[in-house]
Parts: sequence; C-alpha cells; structure tokens
Amino acid sequence: MVGLEIILEATWEHIILVYTTLSISIAISIPLAFASLYSRKLEFVVMKFANLVQAVPSFAVVAIMVPLLGIGFTPAVVAIMLRALLPIVKNTFIGLKNVDPSIIDYAQGMGMSQWQINTYIRLPNAYPAMFAGIKFAGILANSIAVLTAFIGSGGLGEIIFQGLIGYNTSTLLAGAIPAILLAIMIDRSFSALEKKVTPGYRKI
Amino acid sequence: MQNRRLFDRIESIKFKGITKKYGPVYAVKDLDLEVRGGELLILIGPSGSGKTTALRMMNRMIDQDTGSVTINGLDTRDVDPVRLRRNMGYVIQNIGLFPHMTIGENIGLVPKLEGWDKKKIHQRVSNLLDFVSLPPDIFMKRYPRQLSGGQQQRVGLARAMATDPPLFLMDEPFGALDPILRKQLQKEFLKIKNEINRTIIFVTHDIEEALVLGDRIAIMDQGQLVQVGPPEELIFNPASELVSDIVDNQRKYKHMDTLKVKDLMSAYEDKYALDGKTEVCDAVEEMTKRDLETAFVFDGHELLGQVTMVDLMKCRVKAQKLADLARPMKTFQPLDSVAFALSEMKKSGEYIAIVMDPNKPAGILVSDEVLLKLI
Repeated sequence: MVGLEIILEATWEHIILVYTTLSISIAISIPLAFASLYSRKLEFVVMKFANLVQAVPSFAVVAIMVPLLGIGFTPAVVAIMLRALLPIVKNTFIGLKNVDPSIIDYAQGMGMSQWQINTYIRLPNAYPAMFAGIKFAGILANSIAVLTAFIGSGGLGEIIFQGLIGYNTSTLLAGAIPAILLAIMIDRSFSALEKKVTPGYRKI
Repeated sequence: MQNRRLFDRIESIKFKGITKKYGPVYAVKDLDLEVRGGELLILIGPSGSGKTTALRMMNRMIDQDTGSVTINGLDTRDVDPVRLRRNMGYVIQNIGLFPHMTIGENIGLVPKLEGWDKKKIHQRVSNLLDFVSLPPDIFMKRYPRQLSGGQQQRVGLARAMATDPPLFLMDEPFGALDPILRKQLQKEFLKIKNEINRTIIFVTHDIEEALVLGDRIAIMDQGQLVQVGPPEELIFNPASELVSDIVDNQRKYKHMDTLKVKDLMSAYEDKYALDGKTEVCDAVEEMTKRDLETAFVFDGHELLGQVTMVDLMKCRVKAQKLADLARPMKTFQPLDSVAFALSEMKKSGEYIAIVMDPNKPAGILVSDEVLLKLI
C-alpha cells in the first residue's frame, strides 16, 4: 500500500510537469501560429511537422530523449512539449486563418494596424479553435507525463509502474485514479479560462 | 493613438491617370475623375468594371500602379494608410461587424483606438444608435448575430459615422438586402445623407439605387470611365450604348419619380411675354409676328396668366387690355417632381404651365412634350 503523502507528492510533481510543459507550449505556439500567417513557407513546415510528430508513438518520443538529453525533469518537459506543441500551433493557426475575410477586410478599411487586427480581431475569433487545441494538448501532456516517469521525471507514472511491476492493483490504482482526475481537471481549468477570456462566450 | 484630422472638409478628390493591372488585365485604366466636396458620387458598372477597385484606391486598400489620388491636394501615397483610413467612414456589403463584440463595442472601436475616454464613447454610441433608429438600451449590449440583416446594416452605418469623418466610402452597402428592405434603407439613408452633409463615394450595381441616391453618377466599364454626370444627363444624353443600356432609357418613365420639372421643361424665351397693358389688336399682331399660339401676360414682373390666339380672336372688344383677358395658369418650381406637375396639369385640363424660379420665369412645361421625352 502506498502512503497518502507519496501519492500527493507524485500528484503535485505531475501537475507541475504538465502545466509547465503546457505553459511553455502555449507561449511558443501562439507566436508561431501568427508567424505562419505571414509566411507560407513556415506554415508548410509547421503543418508538415505537426502531422509527422502526431504519427510517432508517444513512447518512442520519450525514449529518444535519453540519448539526446539524458534523464530527469528537463528531458521529460521537452518530450511532452514535442507532442503538445503541435496541436496548439495547428489549431491556433487554423483559428486565426479562418476568421471571416470580410471582417479582416473591414478592419483594415476602418484603419486598424496589423497589430490591432491581430489582437482585437483575429485572436478573439480564434479562441474556440485555440482552446480546443490547448485542451487536447493538455490531455495528451497528462498521459505522456505518465510515460516520462521512465526517464526520471517523477509524477504519478512512478506509482503506476510500481503497481504494474508488482502486480499490485491497489498501488496501480493509487497512481491511475489521480491521473484520470487530473485529466478532467486540466480540461475544466482551460474551459474556465476560455469562458473568462471569450467575450459573449455563449453568444458567438 | 490620437490622430489629428487630415481634413475637416473635403474640397475635392482627384483621380489622375490611375491605372491598375492584375497580370495582363487592366482593373482600372487611365482613370481621371473628380469628386466634388459634399456630393454623393455613385460608381456604377458591370462586374469587373473597376468600380470597387477605384473605391479601394481612395483608402489605399489597393495601391495604383501609376497615377495619383489626391484629396484636397494631398497625395494619398504621402499618408500612412492607417491614418488615412481613420479619416474615412467605411461601409461594405458584408457589413463586417465583429461577431465577438457587442453592437456598442463595434461602433465604439474606432473612437477607442483614437483614445477617447469611456464616457464620451458611450455617449457617442448612444447618439448614433438613436440616429439610425435602434434604441440604445435594447441594442447596445447585443451581439451582431442577434440582429436582422437590416439592423446589422444600420449598425454598419452608425459605425462608419463614429468619429464623424468628412468622407464616406460605401461599397454596395445595401447589396445583400432583399429588395423591399433595400428601398426602405435607401430612403432612410437619403435622410441621413442630407442631415450629415458629407462627401460620399458609393459603389453599386443597382441603377435604381444610383438614380435615387446619386448627385452624380460615374459609369465605368472594363476599367474605364465611360460617362459621369447627374442622373438626368445620363438618361437624356447617354454617351454610349452602354450608358443607355445601364440607365435603361428605353423605359425612362421608370425614373419618373426621380425627375424634376427642371429636367424636362422647355427653355423660356422673352418672346413669350406680353405686357398686361397691351391692347388685344396689338397683341394679335405681335403674337402673329412672333409665331406664338400662347403668350404669358405680365404686369411688370408679376405673372397675370396666359392668353391664347384663339381667346384673342374670339374677343369682340378690340380695345380691351390683355390684363383683363389673361386666364390664370399653373406655375411650378424647378425642383417640383415631374409626376406631381403632370398630375396637377391633368386635373385642370391644361397642357401648358410656366416654371418660376422663384419669381422669374425659368421655363415652360408642355405636357405632350414631357411625355414625348419620357417615351
């Protein structure tokens, strides 16, 4: 049987891992998505790479980190990011790109600068697609964070693997149940954020 | 970013030798056009005629290859496009309301970008909503999707007026509305136009709309200006077959309600006038000499009425003065509508009337002649 203290500690490590990765991913993705709007070349590269990485098994991505970056927290963050970055970039880009052209045309015609169009018009209109991408990336990050326990990231994966190795169902569940609850929490937390930043949330 | 106005009033906008090519195709070719301050100029033509391209060169949404657009003498290429556009109200067919902003935020966006304070913006938005007949307390907080097409286009108008710009660019603003709604909005817009008294460039493909709203109409075809002039000039003196096709002058009567008496009256000449103190004998002689069937009798500058040759011939007392014989006649003002004048004349059974502007004879309206011109 695993002590409560150990479960809480592992859960906390897991949360830190997931949200750190997500925050960095979002911080990189949004500028990258905007940049892709202005460069067809970049758009092509980003989209190709996004689809490619999606096809590689998560466990392979985690494993490949060891020869490249060794073990520990940082390689785990990089491994998760590789998978989490791209749904966000892709969705944000599609959201930004698919804003009704007549709206953008009007925004220009009324005398808004590119920067103003991007912040006042494009970004808010891309929120639904962007947050769908972030939520998907969050759930992905949560599940990969279980795997990165293998390369020494800590977190709930450690408890789950202990349970698996020792055929110990209660240990396994002590790791698995918090992981499932975390997945739900991540989804809810970003839904709440989306609601907060999207003006007239239900009306558009 | 608080910008100083580039211009408070438009004196004139000049297109000089404007050409714009897309590949081998001319979108606009050698366009020379002057827009006068305070007028509503219609740009009309078949699709691909370059009318929208010409409009979009004014706010530099499109930059010309050669030639220049000057507003009050200021070359538009010497101004930052963003700043230039802030001086113009812009209305487009798709309206382009921002779906994620309330009606109030939509209208107040440019003032906000211009750095107005919140209270002033709120006040302005309320006034504008009132102006376009949308009660502010109901509509301010709504989202565009909750409005009908007609209401959305009113918001579009209000938004363009937000900073009270001296110039409006309108690209088929009523094009997406159903015909009845379009007519209503045109009527309202006409009222607004007269009230705000601004220079407006208006692109449309609907000739009825052009005739109703336009002070002058510029007809374009294949990137070139074919003819520009007031509606009646295009109807009665079309420069080419295309123009007559567009204004549909085979069926001019359709445009009856847009025509004014001054458009269809015959020129007035002094020979039609006789003095009230003239005796009948002399009058007959004078009218024969001048080849008149009808003469207008004046006492000084005052119109007494008309006399016809037939009346005079029937008169037994040859020494009688014209002043006693003159029959009252219909008089109209040059800006009266032709339809009104014709129905008035029909009512009293007269076929001739005089046009006074306001106390001086300006023309003669002959019902048969009017009809001939209309057919």
